[in-house]
Amino acid sequence: MKSIKDHIMFILPLLAVLIGIEFILIFGRVTKAYEEKLRSDYAIIVSSKKVLTTPYLRSIDSDIESVEAMNKQKIASEVVSNIGKENVDTILKELPHFYRIHLAKYVTVKKLKEIEKELKAIPGMVTVDTFGESYETKRSLFSVVTTLLNIFMTILFLVSILLIIKQMEVWQLAHKERMQIMEIFGAPLMLRSGVLFKMAFVDAIIAALLNLGIFLYVQSKLNNSLLFKYIHADASIFFHVKDFFIWLGVSFIIVIISVLFVAFRASEAIEE
Amino acid sequence: MASVIKAQNLTLAYDKGKNVIIKNATFSIEQGEFVFITGPSGSGKSTLLKSMYGQLKPYDGTLIVGGYDMRKIKRSQLLQLRRNIGIVFQDYKLINEWTVEKNVVLPLIITGYSLDVQKVQAEKLLAHVKLSEQAHKYPLELSGGEQQRVGVARALSKNPFLILADEPTGNLDEFSSGVVWDLLENACDQLNATVLVVTHKIPTIFNIPYRHFIIENGGVHEVH
Repeated sequence: MKSIKDHIMFILPLLAVLIGIEFILIFGRVTKAYEEKLRSDYAIIVSSKKVLTTPYLRSIDSDIESVEAMNKQKIASEVVSNIGKENVDTILKELPHFYRIHLAKYVTVKKLKEIEKELKAIPGMVTVDTFGESYETKRSLFSVVTTLLNIFMTILFLVSILLIIKQMEVWQLAHKERMQIMEIFGAPLMLRSGVLFKMAFVDAIIAALLNLGIFLYVQSKLNNSLLFKYIHADASIFFHVKDFFIWLGVSFIIVIISVLFVAFRASEAIEE
Repeated sequence: MASVIKAQNLTLAYDKGKNVIIKNATFSIEQGEFVFITGPSGSGKSTLLKSMYGQLKPYDGTLIVGGYDMRKIKRSQLLQLRRNIGIVFQDYKLINEWTVEKNVVLPLIITGYSLDVQKVQAEKLLAHVKLSEQAHKYPLELSGGEQQRVGVARALSKNPFLILADEPTGNLDEFSSGVVWDLLENACDQLNATVLVVTHKIPTIFNIPYRHFIIENGGVHEVH
């Protein structure tokens, strides 16, 4: 019973750390997908008397990905209806060229203003519309969500570390005497801490498997969720196979650090 | 005969020299000798023993144990030396979560002997200390005398060249004391181990020759 309790006392904080790590990985993927969606949906609309090309605009700012010409005829027919063909031709002649400019990444509001300024400085440029207000709102919301999640992750991580430190103290009490006796008889560090290593590695594997179960379950429950459609992703965002190896790696690192710390602290001090 | 322990102007102290326990002690102990160290409480008997297994570094002078200079010994060398020393403590220092059998073969586990060797040696030693029936019990299920016999069996399990015993019969009844003295005598007489025993009182009946040192007022003097 005591042994099961000992295992649980280490598995739980380890599991919390692993959940935190998976949240970070998922959040990284979700924000990337959402950012990509925001970026691909967004375009600066400009009108210019001169023809604009992608290489030209990229030479002005490397954050510009491409420029796409808009159909003038369609614009004219949307603006003015029931007019004769001759009039349409006249209007088309007078109208500047319209373009959609796509950006290479989801830039900050400050950067967007810079780009706007650069575009306005192009000779022959008539109008530049960045839809700055709407962009700013979305960008701010995105930043707030990112910050809140980062705070949550940090708190989760700190609490887990505190729990692990607490468990290390319990280990210290439980294993110190044995380690010291073994040291008196000449046991090297790895042998003294062998029992603890074995136990902690088993716990690390159990914690990683539990975490796997949790996220596979969440993935199956959230399949076809509207959230994924909104961010142009699917439930696979919840678990990638490489995540499992990341969890194992992190758990093993925590185990090695914790056990060695306990072993060094249990090591007798040679009096001088 | 080669000196197993050689002290030259040895000074032992705590608190970085503020609390001197042994001052300028010079003596040597040879292979196969049995040595009693006596002295009043607090005279430094256990401190001297501690310095011999590297728990306390000499403050001044020289102390050579098994060829190692205990002032300059490295951690890895200290562990190596300890693997060849048997130590018996007054408070037994057994691992309570291990069986008696496993406690006895601790030095063999540390050295990496096979399970078969461990088993054979455990059976032999437990028979010697008259505890064969208790092999699968845990230390806390045994009496103090039985625990100390396990401690002595552990000290002997790897045929050490040196056995250090700190008040090995201090807490024991007459029967257990007798068994412990017999075992230590045998280790010296038959295995040619050097045995160094810190005690309050030398047993009245002792069957082999021995040397006797007294620690008094910080000095180590041999009684002839």
